[in-house]
Amino acid sequence: MRDVYVIGVGITSFTRLEFPLSEIAAYPVMMALKDAGIKEVDHLYVANMGSGRVNHQTGLASAVVDTLSLTPAGAEVVENGPASGASAVKTGFMAVASGVHDVVAVTGVERMREVNSLEATEFVATLTHPLGEYIYGVTLPSLAGMFTRLYMEKYGVTSRHLAMVAVKNQDNALLNEFAHIQQKITVEGILDSPEAMTNNPFVADPLRFFDCCPVSDGGASVILATREVAEKLGKPLVKLAGVGQATDTHCVSEREEPTDLLAVRRAAAQSFEMAGVTPADVDVAELHDAFTILEIVESEEVGFFKKGEGHLALERGETQIGGKLPINPSGGLKGRGHPVGATGVAQAYEIVLQLRGEAGKRQVDSPKVGFTCNFGGFGNNVVCLTFTREN
Amino acid sequence: MARDIYAYRCRKCGHLHYPYRMVCANCGENEHNEFDPEALPKTGTLLAFTRLYALPGDFDVPTLGLGIVELENGIRVTGQLDIDEPAAGMKVKGSVEVVRQEEYEKYYGMIFSQA
Repeated sequence: MRDVYVIGVGITSFTRLEFPLSEIAAYPVMMALKDAGIKEVDHLYVANMGSGRVNHQTGLASAVVDTLSLTPAGAEVVENGPASGASAVKTGFMAVASGVHDVVAVTGVERMREVNSLEATEFVATLTHPLGEYIYGVTLPSLAGMFTRLYMEKYGVTSRHLAMVAVKNQDNALLNEFAHIQQKITVEGILDSPEAMTNNPFVADPLRFFDCCPVSDGGASVILATREVAEKLGKPLVKLAGVGQATDTHCVSEREEPTDLLAVRRAAAQSFEMAGVTPADVDVAELHDAFTILEIVESEEVGFFKKGEGHLALERGETQIGGKLPINPSGGLKGRGHPVGATGVAQAYEIVLQLRGEAGKRQVDSPKVGFTCNFGGFGNNVVCLTFTREN
Repeated sequence: MARDIYAYRCRKCGHLHYPYRMVCANCGENEHNEFDPEALPKTGTLLAFTRLYALPGDFDVPTLGLGIVELENGIRVTGQLDIDEPAAGMKVKGSVEVVRQEEYEKYYGMIFSQA
């Protein structure tokens, strides 16, 4: 297997974007090609979940490769629900590692604001089990709500801990010009103030509005290449050192221990093993906080903290920028936004910036190992990536 | 007419599946249709629950109770809750009713109330 390096990255603003879907996908590729200092790639992977349903456009990869005037390079869409982004990065990794291609572009894109927020939630809910969950009105927030209550009862996590995740990630997003949510909030303001019941209503009890990520449009790209290509460009070398993926039962109800996220545990372990590092080596991480509870639980399942102790590390400030292990310096899904197909690639974008030391106001102190967890379904399909800085 | 929700028992090893699977999750039996349908029991214990305030567009109610119930045979199912104040460990009984209605289609599923 050949070593694989990230030679270029690009991103759009995550917000409501009034541009054609293929342009939202293409723009960050243009940025990433400029960043790398190259003009051509051998292949293009487009991560997207809902273009056929939400945007009435299929065959998206053909549209994007042509928009970029990269024809006749091969191109295809990778769809893996909200983990499409990291799945596409993993697919690009395999193409380069295997020797099939030397340079590939991966772009993740979603344009969800074309429909209203109820339709967007309904679109994401179609990934639930058709007969075992979907027909009942189950949505991702409702699965997260049930999970959150179990976690609170078992491990003593409270609404305040959840609010602390929201506050931290929205604070981080204020340092990220591309982040969707640019709003300072406080725990008191969203939980204790007289206005809290109206500014922070329940979405799926006990989860409230500020526990859920926004519905966003956006795109993010990375360019992957061999070491030989990467070395010629004279930039800091960031290696995609480990990829891991695992699945779990489609129906959440079937899981033996309902507070475990086994696919996260397994995908992370694979990714660390391939990279030859341990969770303790990680200096900065982007976790999939579609709901605030998920940042806490993933930080345990991937091995940063003991099971049931993630909220204690949060309380101690360890996961803030400047803490022992900064989590979601970009703002995470909560602050940066969650255009589902783009998220996994946007996580990789952030980690590459951090490892290069180019993250500006939100730069973590000289990190060498970075990690991402992209969570598909309600833990049905999880992809984890480990990056290391060389030279 | 009382309706049922079915689980599927592997003819080779006896493992009971809900929801349906084409290959046995226990013994790997993969001959087509080697599963016998078996009506799920309707009583059980409430394990997890939520009240959803942001509903899919085709639901004509302001909020919706949802939960995961462990039925008396150990199978866990997701269902709607018709319970004002649910609590973990509460004994519940289900009935199979219309749980979702689209323009030309009705879907039946389990709705649980306090036993």
